[in-house]
Amino acid sequence: MSSPQREGFTAPSSISHAAQGYVASKSLGVKYYCAQCGSSFSLNKSDAIRCKDCGHRVIYKARTRKMVQFEAR
Amino acid sequence: MSTAKFRTLEREQRFQNPPKDKSAYPMLYEAIEPHIGSFNALTEGAHGGLLNLAVKDIGAKTIFDSTSTDRLGNKLMIKVDSVEIGKPSIPTNDKLSLNSNTLPYECRERMISYRSKLRLKVTWSVNDGEEMSEIRDCGLLPVMLRSSRCHLQNLSPDELVKHKEESDEFGGYFIVNGIEKLIRMLIVQRRNHPMALIRPSFASRGNSYTKYGIQIRCVRPDQTSQTNVLHYLSDGNVTFRFSWKKNEYLVPVQMILKALMETSDREIFDGIIGTDLSNSFLTDRLELLLRTYNKSYNLYSNQETLAYLGDKFRVVFDGTPDMSDIEVGKLVLKRIVLVHLDSNQDKFRMLLFMIRKLYSLVAGDCCPDNPDATQHQEVLLGGFLYGMIVKEKIEEYLNNFKLQVSSDLNRGLKVNFHERKYISRVFQRINENIGQKLQYFLSTGNLVSQSGLDLQQVSGYTVVAEKINFHRFISHFRMVHRGSFFAELKTTTVRKLLPESWGFLCPVHTPDGSPCGLLNHLAHKCKITTKQSDVSGVPGALSQLGISSVNSFAAGPGVCCVQLDGKILGWTSHEKAKIVADTLRYWKIEGSHNIPLDLEVGYVPPSNKGQYPGLYLFGGHARMVRPVKYLPLGKTDIVGPFEQVYMNIAVTPEEITNNIHSHVEFSPTNILSILANLTPFSDFNQSPRNMYQCQMGKQTMGTPGVGLVHRSDNKLYRLQSGQTPIVKANLYDDYGMDNFPNGTNAVVAVISYTGYDMDDAMIINKSADERGFGYGTVYKVEKVDLGMSRRRGDPITQHIGFGDDDWPEIWQNKLDADGLPQIGVKVEEGDPIIAYFDDTLGKTKVKTYHSSEPAYIEEVKLLADDTNSECQQLSIKYRITRQPLIGDKFSSRHGQKGVCSRKWPQTDMPFSETGIQPDVIINPHAFPSRMTIGMFVESLAGKAGALHGMAHDATPWKFSESDTPADYFGDQLLAAGYNYHGNEPMYSGVTGEELRADIYIGVVYYQRLRHMVNDKFQVRSTGPVNSLTMQPVKGRKRSGGIRVGEMERDALIGHGTAFLLQDRLLNCSDYTHTSLCKDCGSLLTTQASVPRIGSMSSIRCRSCSKKLESFSNEFINESDIWEDGQGKKFVGGENTTTVAIPFVLKYLDSELAAMGIKLKYNVQPR
Repeated sequence: MSSPQREGFTAPSSISHAAQGYVASKSLGVKYYCAQCGSSFSLNKSDAIRCKDCGHRVIYKARTRKMVQFEAR
Repeated sequence: MSTAKFRTLEREQRFQNPPKDKSAYPMLYEAIEPHIGSFNALTEGAHGGLLNLAVKDIGAKTIFDSTSTDRLGNKLMIKVDSVEIGKPSIPTNDKLSLNSNTLPYECRERMISYRSKLRLKVTWSVNDGEEMSEIRDCGLLPVMLRSSRCHLQNLSPDELVKHKEESDEFGGYFIVNGIEKLIRMLIVQRRNHPMALIRPSFASRGNSYTKYGIQIRCVRPDQTSQTNVLHYLSDGNVTFRFSWKKNEYLVPVQMILKALMETSDREIFDGIIGTDLSNSFLTDRLELLLRTYNKSYNLYSNQETLAYLGDKFRVVFDGTPDMSDIEVGKLVLKRIVLVHLDSNQDKFRMLLFMIRKLYSLVAGDCCPDNPDATQHQEVLLGGFLYGMIVKEKIEEYLNNFKLQVSSDLNRGLKVNFHERKYISRVFQRINENIGQKLQYFLSTGNLVSQSGLDLQQVSGYTVVAEKINFHRFISHFRMVHRGSFFAELKTTTVRKLLPESWGFLCPVHTPDGSPCGLLNHLAHKCKITTKQSDVSGVPGALSQLGISSVNSFAAGPGVCCVQLDGKILGWTSHEKAKIVADTLRYWKIEGSHNIPLDLEVGYVPPSNKGQYPGLYLFGGHARMVRPVKYLPLGKTDIVGPFEQVYMNIAVTPEEITNNIHSHVEFSPTNILSILANLTPFSDFNQSPRNMYQCQMGKQTMGTPGVGLVHRSDNKLYRLQSGQTPIVKANLYDDYGMDNFPNGTNAVVAVISYTGYDMDDAMIINKSADERGFGYGTVYKVEKVDLGMSRRRGDPITQHIGFGDDDWPEIWQNKLDADGLPQIGVKVEEGDPIIAYFDDTLGKTKVKTYHSSEPAYIEEVKLLADDTNSECQQLSIKYRITRQPLIGDKFSSRHGQKGVCSRKWPQTDMPFSETGIQPDVIINPHAFPSRMTIGMFVESLAGKAGALHGMAHDATPWKFSESDTPADYFGDQLLAAGYNYHGNEPMYSGVTGEELRADIYIGVVYYQRLRHMVNDKFQVRSTGPVNSLTMQPVKGRKRSGGIRVGEMERDALIGHGTAFLLQDRLLNCSDYTHTSLCKDCGSLLTTQASVPRIGSMSSIRCRSCSKKLESFSNEFINESDIWEDGQGKKFVGGENTTTVAIPFVLKYLDSELAAMGIKLKYNVQPR
């Protein structure tokens, strides 16, 4: 077949990460939660900003698990 | 005396379980009803809403496909058949979302617009053949919240909370790019009622024009309007004026009359004069009117006149070649003349009525109507204006279609109307995005219009519905503006508070300063009709009451003309008209005879040179109406401003007098706006103080809402320790103000204690401050968009997060591994707030926090864009703590504002015999000149309330001379063991000695205003300067200086402080050392020579030196030669010196040099 692409297959639009040779599925250990349904999940670097459950377009970052300490005066 | 309640339990329960059926605060929803009602009217109601009426009014556009002039070719008739607005939803290509509705909170968070699809059903037919149609998508149209096009419509508080809104979100505004915008209400002339005017500017229309005119603003069923004016000419003639597409046209009124109907001069004569044949003023002028016209135009029949009109207006009104002149003439009449009426017969009669009114005005038989009085005004509502713009854009759309076809024809492209494909192609090539244009309108407030929409301004139609606190937010929806045209007017007559506005516009709630009197607020019970009342029963009722028919031989002020919404229904005698009006009113309140309750029965009695008499009935849109009690039936009547002028409405039941009053107010507080009603005991205050409180209530740092998590406003103020006031008007609870507390109850002592309370300063108890008195927070949101610099379609080059290169470890103190700030971390100026990896540079970079004030990261929201790519946009919400500081502004609710001057230690504050120490100390001098007795009463009531654990009603006009608040609250104080008058002996906190006078101490509700020193202070010793003048820049943001201007300079001169003056104007500004040539006296010609071996660089004057080449024969000592930067050698010019000048002098010198003027400075040592 002369067509360079098989039917039903589309080449990934951004192959830059693959070309650079690092693994895209690197979880950063930061939790996020959805503004609509409230479900909690983690995101990878190149993931689209979508809730994993409901597909909502606004995602909140969860409060850090590191200790945040101030001097109370 | 009724008392208020705290209702704490009710409120807490409502917070925990929001009502599942309906809101607890129906009055809130009523307050914004004009906005939502007018928007809903666009798509709902008779004939499918206003927009569908509008497209009917636009009609079909006719296009011919022939290029030659001798034949027309195929005829295409295209029109918009119907308009449909959907509900906001996600884009159709989005397959990931479970919920396909776009909700308002998402738009606020993502900073996008809340809009839905606008669809037009376009139909066309070729050569009057079969109709074809297509539905076109015309972009996304912003829709109003809680309107019928919104997902929030009719949701209960419980559901609203689930939709992440306030429990009592009432809507009425739009969301445009994440900002809440609303179309403000505008005062316009009352529709369909001819108004007599005397305007000197009328005389400047042309030769023999006079100042007399009759103006009528006619409104079509789709709410678009057309103004017609009749001008009186000094020779007795009358001219009809209208404007069309921003051009003015003048037509003799007889031509309009004759074009409307087949008529005779006799008929016109009788229709204007009636039985007043003895009135020679009238008969003379009318004779002249009829004679001159016949002589100069020679048009007698209806057809002739129409053809003449059509011929003249063919170009202006886009008459297509297939239309005859007569048809164009009819079109003109339909589009222009008294457009609120359908039949030409009615238009003819109305025009005759107007002519007669004009002659009466000229003869002085009636007075001019006041266009500034509420009687002759109505309100242009946001929804109607929105519809008018949509209508115009639809018409523009059809015109563009026509233009596209003709451009195709001109370019010789194949035009085939029969082919559906061709029509679709034309659609694709014109701009179909009507929604975009409306979005522009909302976001800028600018009206882009060909016709001007019969309005007087082009900008300022929309405002941001700021959520500084709830008072401000709700006020936006009750605000009516007179129009920006009047803001520039030098005369102040338009700003006057007129008795006509009683009960409709609040006399208290208007800002002071430039918008004073132009920006009013509706009285809280005033409503604006958004629907046409069903007036079908009125003509029947009238004829039952014995009104003679329209055809009867009657005219003039001697008989009473009966009009309904600008249509003449008949005539009657003045004596009978009074009875008719009274009976109609009785019937409408009774609910019989199919007469709507909100019908306005404006009976203008005959008078000696007063308003032109008649019986004018109104049942239309956009009228201000308000409820009052009708005495004969004891039921509610709805009255309007036109009829109110001639009615007797008692303010209080005690005032009712037999045979005079027909109505009584439900409450005297009905005349006040929502905010003015919340001022406690406002009847005891001097009136300007109440105005100030209305302003300050809107600037208070209060509670903007409770769903702040789901908002992304640029800046929000929040009071942490809000309380319900002990002293409050009962309306406070009706409007649910406790959901959004606006201040704190404070123990206030009126005493001059430390000297720090001079001149409106106030002292705050330091311990009260530490307990949280007035503690506030500011939330700021910063939107970060990494894709801003990227063009559409370009690959993403900046990725949020850290890269693999080396970057400072210190960044990780504030940022998480994802490159975003940790929630809850404190950031200071220069701290990183986001890290991203830039592909093009191959480096990790950060964006930093830019504000001198430290903040805490409150929220980080990742926002998706329409493409499904990685994160590029996010918003960061900062929390800035604002505890009260010296210099922050506070106020009570009586226009008594003050600045905190000290936080005084509690140990040193005075104490009373019961050990109470004040939270706030204010100076007694704040009272005598301002006369805010209401504050004393509040203090008394607050103290009594606090002692007995009860809330007190502070509604104005509840007390009287015989029943004073001093007695009422004094008794309560006495019962609690306190001094009857509110004074108490107090002891100095420092020495413990009893103070020589008793101190007035009580509980007053204090507001913290949003003006805080932290946002205002400006200091500078050195800093950035302007590169041209070397003077300090201006502006707090750029850390600039404060200008010592002309008047400040004058003051310093006046004090003889010359050194101070020099210090300010020179030393601290652009003090510079510069070199000057003593020989030629020039500042500009000196320059530094290039240093050479053995000699330093020296300053030389270039114009006083000679070039080395000119000394070809003489011997020059090598040490005398100097060299400039270009390697040219010179001799001489060494007589220079250094002087101190302001740098701008150098700039001035160069500017003058450029004009050929030389400045010479004669300097000599002293």
